[in-house]
Amino acid sequence: MDAFLLWFDEFWAVYSNLILTLGINALLALSIWLTLACGLLALANAAFMGIGAYAGALATMNYDSPFALSLVVAMAAPSLVALAIGVPVLRLGGVYLAMATLGFGEVVRVVILNTESITGGALGLNGIPQQTQWWHVALALAIVVFMLARLHRSKTGRAFEAIKVDETAAGLMGIDLRAHKLLAFVLGAAIAGLAGALNAHLTFFIGPQEYGFDRGVEILTMAILGGIGSLIGPVIGAFFLTLLPELLRGLADFRLIVNGLILVSVVLFLPNGLWDPARIRNWFGARR
Amino acid sequence: MQFMRSAIVALAIGASTVASQAAEVKLGVAAALSGLAAQYGAAIRNGFELAAEEINAAGGVNGNTIKLVVEDEQGKKEEAINVYKKLIFQDKVLLIFGPTLSNSASAANPIAQAAKAPVFGTSNTADGITAVGNYIFRNSVTEADVLPVTLKTVVEKEGVKKVAVLYGNDDVFTKSGYDNFAKALKDQNIPVTTTETFAKGDVDFKAQLTKIKASGPDAIVLSALLAEGAPILVQARQLGIDLPFVGGNGVNSVKIFELAKGASDNLWVGSPWSASNDTPENKKFIEAYTKKFGLAPDQFAAQTYDALHIVAEALKKVQLSGDIAKDRAALRDALPDVSWTGVTGPFKFRQAVDKSGKPAGYDADQQPIVSVTKDGAYQIVK
Repeated sequence: MDAFLLWFDEFWAVYSNLILTLGINALLALSIWLTLACGLLALANAAFMGIGAYAGALATMNYDSPFALSLVVAMAAPSLVALAIGVPVLRLGGVYLAMATLGFGEVVRVVILNTESITGGALGLNGIPQQTQWWHVALALAIVVFMLARLHRSKTGRAFEAIKVDETAAGLMGIDLRAHKLLAFVLGAAIAGLAGALNAHLTFFIGPQEYGFDRGVEILTMAILGGIGSLIGPVIGAFFLTLLPELLRGLADFRLIVNGLILVSVVLFLPNGLWDPARIRNWFGARR
Repeated sequence: MQFMRSAIVALAIGASTVASQAAEVKLGVAAALSGLAAQYGAAIRNGFELAAEEINAAGGVNGNTIKLVVEDEQGKKEEAINVYKKLIFQDKVLLIFGPTLSNSASAANPIAQAAKAPVFGTSNTADGITAVGNYIFRNSVTEADVLPVTLKTVVEKEGVKKVAVLYGNDDVFTKSGYDNFAKALKDQNIPVTTTETFAKGDVDFKAQLTKIKASGPDAIVLSALLAEGAPILVQARQLGIDLPFVGGNGVNSVKIFELAKGASDNLWVGSPWSASNDTPENKKFIEAYTKKFGLAPDQFAAQTYDALHIVAEALKKVQLSGDIAKDRAALRDALPDVSWTGVTGPFKFRQAVDKSGKPAGYDADQQPIVSVTKDGAYQIVK
C-alpha cells in the first residue's frame, strides 16, 4: 500500500496538470457538442473560452473575488455576449453561421489586444493565482455531463435532435427554432467560459493568441473525432486528442507525424467518431 | 537529428565507461521543437548539444558527464508545464533550460520555483520572467537593456534628432519591444514624429510608410519580426526612404539579407552576440557549429552554448551528494557567482526584483554589440 501511495505521489506530481487539462478539454468539447447537437456549426467556442478566462482572471486579480464567484462571472460574461450576438447570428445557417462565428472570434481577439489597460493587450495577463484543484475540474465535468444528459433526454433535448435532423419539419411540429438554437448557443458559451476560467487559474498566464482560430479548430476536432452521437463521444475525443501527444512522447522527432497518421486513420476507419456503439457492436458481431 | 542524438548518447556512454566512478549529471532542456517557434527551438537544441559534447569530450565536470534530457514543449504553455513536471519529478534533472518562448516561461517557471528546481532561460526576453523567484535565471539579455544602447549608438553616429516609430501591436514580442523603445526614447529625450502600427500577417505597409515619410523623421524605430520587418525595409526603400532603421531582436537574423535582398542596408540592431565578432571563443564556436550541423549558428544557438558552459562552471563548485533536492539547492547557490567569458563576451548575473521590489531571480549583465547591415553582412559599430 505504501509503495502504491509513493508511486501515486510521483505519478500525480508528473501528470496532475495533464489530467486537469483532460477535464478542461472535455468541457470544451461538450460546449461545442451542444450546438452541434442542435445542427449548428458555430465556431465561437474558443472566443467564449477566452471571454470566460479573461473575465474570471480579472475578477480574481482585480477584485479579489473568491474562486467560486470568479467561475460564476466566467460563465455569465460569455453567456451575455452569446445572448447578444446569438439573436442576429443564429438566423444564419450552415457555412454562413460558421463564417460569422469565426469572424466574431477575430473580433474578440482584436478587442482583447486593444483594451490594453484592462487585458494587458498582446502581453497577456501574468501572475494569475493558481486556484484550480483537481476536484474543481472533476466536479465541473460531472455536473456538466449530468445536466447535459438530463437535457438530452428532456423535451428540449428532443427538440434539439429534431432541429438537427430536419429544421423545417421541426418548425412545422411547433418547435420554437430560434429560442432552442439560442438556448444551445448560450449554454455552450457558459460551459466554454467555465473551461476558460479553470484553465486560466491553472496555468498562471493567459494571452489573446490562445483563443484564436487554432483553438477553435482543436475544440471542433475533439468533438467530431470523438463522435457527436452521444455525450460520451466528445469526452472520449477530448481525452484522446490530449493524451495522444503525451503517450507518443517517446518517439521524439517522429511524434507529430505518428500523431497525424493516427488521426487520419481514425477519420478513415471510424467516420462517425471514436464512440460509435453501432459500429463497435458490428465488429463483435462479425467476429462471432 | 536522430542520428546525431544517438551519436551523443553513444559518446556519453563511451565516456562513462572510461571513468568508471563517474556519475551522470542530468540537465533538462524544454524547447519548442515543433509548432510555430520550432525554428528557434532547433537552434537552441543544437547549441546545447554542441556544448555538451565539448564538455564531455574534455572529461566532463569534475569527472561527471553531462546528460541532456531534451523535451519538446511545442511553444505552448500547457505543454511547457507538462514538460517541466516530467523533467522535475520523473527524470529528476538538476536544472531545466528553457522554455523557448516568454509566454511559456510565464506559465511554467512558477512550477519549477515551487518545486525548488533551478530554471535557466536562454531565449526569454520579456520583462518579469525572473520576477517569479530566486530559482529563475536567464542569460538572454532583455530588450529593456539592449534597445536603449542601440538607439543611443544610432543617435550618436547618424546625428538623429527625431524619429518615427513603427511596430506590430498584436504580438507579445513586438509589442514589448515597442514599450521598451518608447521608454528609451522618453529617457533620451528624442521627439517622436509619428507612431504607426501594423498587424501580424500584413503585407502592404505603404500607407504607414508614406505617413512616416511625410512626418520628416531622421530615423525609423522598428519593432517587428522578420516576416513583416523584411517587406517593411523593401517597401521603405521603394518609396525612397533612405533613413536608418533601428530594429530589435526580431529583425536580428542573417535571414534578413535573403528576405530583403537589395534593400537590407542601414538596419541597426543590438545583441550580445554577433557573427562578425572575431573573439577567439566566437571563432571557435562558429567553426565547430558549422562543421557539426552544416549551417551557420544564430544568436539562439550562441546563447544556449554559453548557458551550458555557465552551468558547467557552477557545477564545478558543487559537491554532488546524490540527494536531488540538496543538489538542486547547491547548484542554485553556486550559479549567481559564476562569471564566464564565452561566445557572447564577458558574462555575469545581476539579481532582479519582483513586483514588490524584493530580490528575485537573476538576469544577464552583459554589454550588447551594436551592428549595422551593409552589403548583406553585419558590421560591428565601434
